[in-house]
Amino acid sequence: MDRKLVSAVVVALAMAWQGAMAEDVTVVGPVTRIVLAPDGQSAVATLKDVRSGSEVRIDISDELTLDKFKDRRIVEGDEVRSRFEKKEGGNASKSFRKTAGC
Amino acid sequence: MRRKKLSGVMVAVALLLGPLAAVAADEDVSRRIDALSREIEQLKAQVRVNEEKAARSEVEAKAVTQRSQERALDRWLTIGGDYRFRVDSLRGETRPFTDVAATFANAQNRLQAEFFANPNAATGGALTGLMQFAQGMNAVRTYSDALAFLGANGAMAQGLGNFAVPVAAYKPRNDTLYTNRLRLDLHAKATQDVSVTTRLAMYKTFGAQDDDAVTNGGAAPFFADRVGVFDGTVGHVPSSSTVAVDRAYATWSNITGRDIWFSVGRRPSTNGAPSNLKLNEPRPGNGGTPSLLVDYAFDGMTLGYAPDIDGFAGAYGKICYGRGFESGFRHTPANAIQDTDMFGLSVVPIDTDKLRVWTQWNRGFHIFDAPKMSGTFFGDTAPRADLGDIDWFGLGAMSTLKNIGPGSLTLFADAALSVTHPSNNVSAQFGFQGLLTGGFFAPEAPTSKTGHAIALGLRYDLPSRTRIGFEYNRGSKNWITFAPAADDVWTAKAGARGNVYELYVIQEFGGTPVSSFGSKAFFKLGAQYYDFKYTGSNNWVGAPVRIADINGQFSTLTPLKKAWDIYATFEVKF
Repeated sequence: MDRKLVSAVVVALAMAWQGAMAEDVTVVGPVTRIVLAPDGQSAVATLKDVRSGSEVRIDISDELTLDKFKDRRIVEGDEVRSRFEKKEGGNASKSFRKTAGC
Repeated sequence: MRRKKLSGVMVAVALLLGPLAAVAADEDVSRRIDALSREIEQLKAQVRVNEEKAARSEVEAKAVTQRSQERALDRWLTIGGDYRFRVDSLRGETRPFTDVAATFANAQNRLQAEFFANPNAATGGALTGLMQFAQGMNAVRTYSDALAFLGANGAMAQGLGNFAVPVAAYKPRNDTLYTNRLRLDLHAKATQDVSVTTRLAMYKTFGAQDDDAVTNGGAAPFFADRVGVFDGTVGHVPSSSTVAVDRAYATWSNITGRDIWFSVGRRPSTNGAPSNLKLNEPRPGNGGTPSLLVDYAFDGMTLGYAPDIDGFAGAYGKICYGRGFESGFRHTPANAIQDTDMFGLSVVPIDTDKLRVWTQWNRGFHIFDAPKMSGTFFGDTAPRADLGDIDWFGLGAMSTLKNIGPGSLTLFADAALSVTHPSNNVSAQFGFQGLLTGGFFAPEAPTSKTGHAIALGLRYDLPSRTRIGFEYNRGSKNWITFAPAADDVWTAKAGARGNVYELYVIQEFGGTPVSSFGSKAFFKLGAQYYDFKYTGSNNWVGAPVRIADINGQFSTLTPLKKAWDIYATFEVKF
């Protein structure tokens, strides 16, 4: 009984998470342009999607990524995996980080 | 009359031929028009061909340009590296001990001299007895063997005391040890998801082509990780101008379109977090291992996954495998040694500037008693015993807080546990000591030993590019780590059984980076103080003994009570 309950909860959580993720778009590709706002509170980064070859503009406002732009830990040419949400005609970043690997 | 007739005929002919001539002229004009039309059509066709050619040329030119851009070196090859000049001023205090290697050498020399001076049955028998003792000793494999051997040869073992070479306490010092270190990094992106990373390294002592300056050349070394340079430490311990391949690995990223990667080769398993702070290097990212647990240039592989989960930014996990010693063919008359392997599991639930948390478990399988080294104080060494396995557990965190006063403050705390699982084997070449068990000629039944260690530290970064750091390490009696490649001259402070304090100041230059965004130059001034509480830091062979209790016992290494290192560096990262 307990196992069934745990399984149901796990499946429900997984489906909820998948559902939430389904609304997001993930793009992988090199950063072709980073434009930091003069006040440093936002930025627009352009990625070249390796799958489609098209360029995607992503609006970034989280401090973690902005700090990486400011101290050059992410620069143009770096390959990045970005997850964003289409919002008000733009692409609002939810995560923006270099592709994993070592 | 004739003339009239002739004129009439001519008029008639003219009247007759006039229209005919007009018709002929029209046809001529028509032909010319046709010819001109054809020429125009031909010209038009030619123009079309030329236009198509031009268009094709433009497309081809664009394609060529794109191809050349895609193949441009800066799109797929990154070159970097660093140079470091370092000067160390070293001081230490030892405890009195009896030098094992010197004692054996003394016994052999004296018995040989006595035999050659007075060759008779007694002197010959003594010399033969010593040789048989040494041969028999090398045949010992297990704890039981050791007890049996010492039971049968107790007199000889005690007799060695007559040849003992006691070493009184002394204060080693080296006012100036200069070193040069050059590392060249290459990163090549071969295909969309596959890259190769390489680091070539040279770490040379000024005025020498060997490691004597850090191994107490000519006398018993102070620490097991500074007996000589070997596979896991080459390029990390000062020695010669030989350029070694410190890192060379291929990485396949974005496997199945997810943030999964597989990487194989000579790994970036050195200088991990939080040692990057005092080394003034960026955080190691997905690479590296916690510096309290592992600092060793491993040949191995990693399979990792970095799930993108809200609230767990930068999270990743990976399993790692490394080979510490390759024993070669097995089941041969000469080889009874197993390969030494390391397996690890690392989970980093969050990796942001504000908070990075790491957890790690490693297991070392078939731990050897000595690595392969050439020309050490003990001669050429090699693994001769599989002493057992060791488990390591680690948990640490690092946090950078901005706007603390004029600068930012980074704090870290790391804790670790080591648990041994000894085999029944003992090390014959080290007097029947086992995995953290026994003393020289004093074997101890194999029992599991647990040790623990902590590392605490902070670094304050000022807007003037000044960085001030302080670190504290403490290791317990039975603490053992796997960090011989650590960037410490005396011994890896992560493996110290006692307390280690380190204070440093880094001053970066303010010049604009040219060679890369991360290029920089800086000076560093630092000081380390080791306060050892037990013997055998960074050595898993033999049981630790309280430093205060050391007073003339047999020891293969020189027991160090205290050590200081005041150092300065000039470093350029490009």
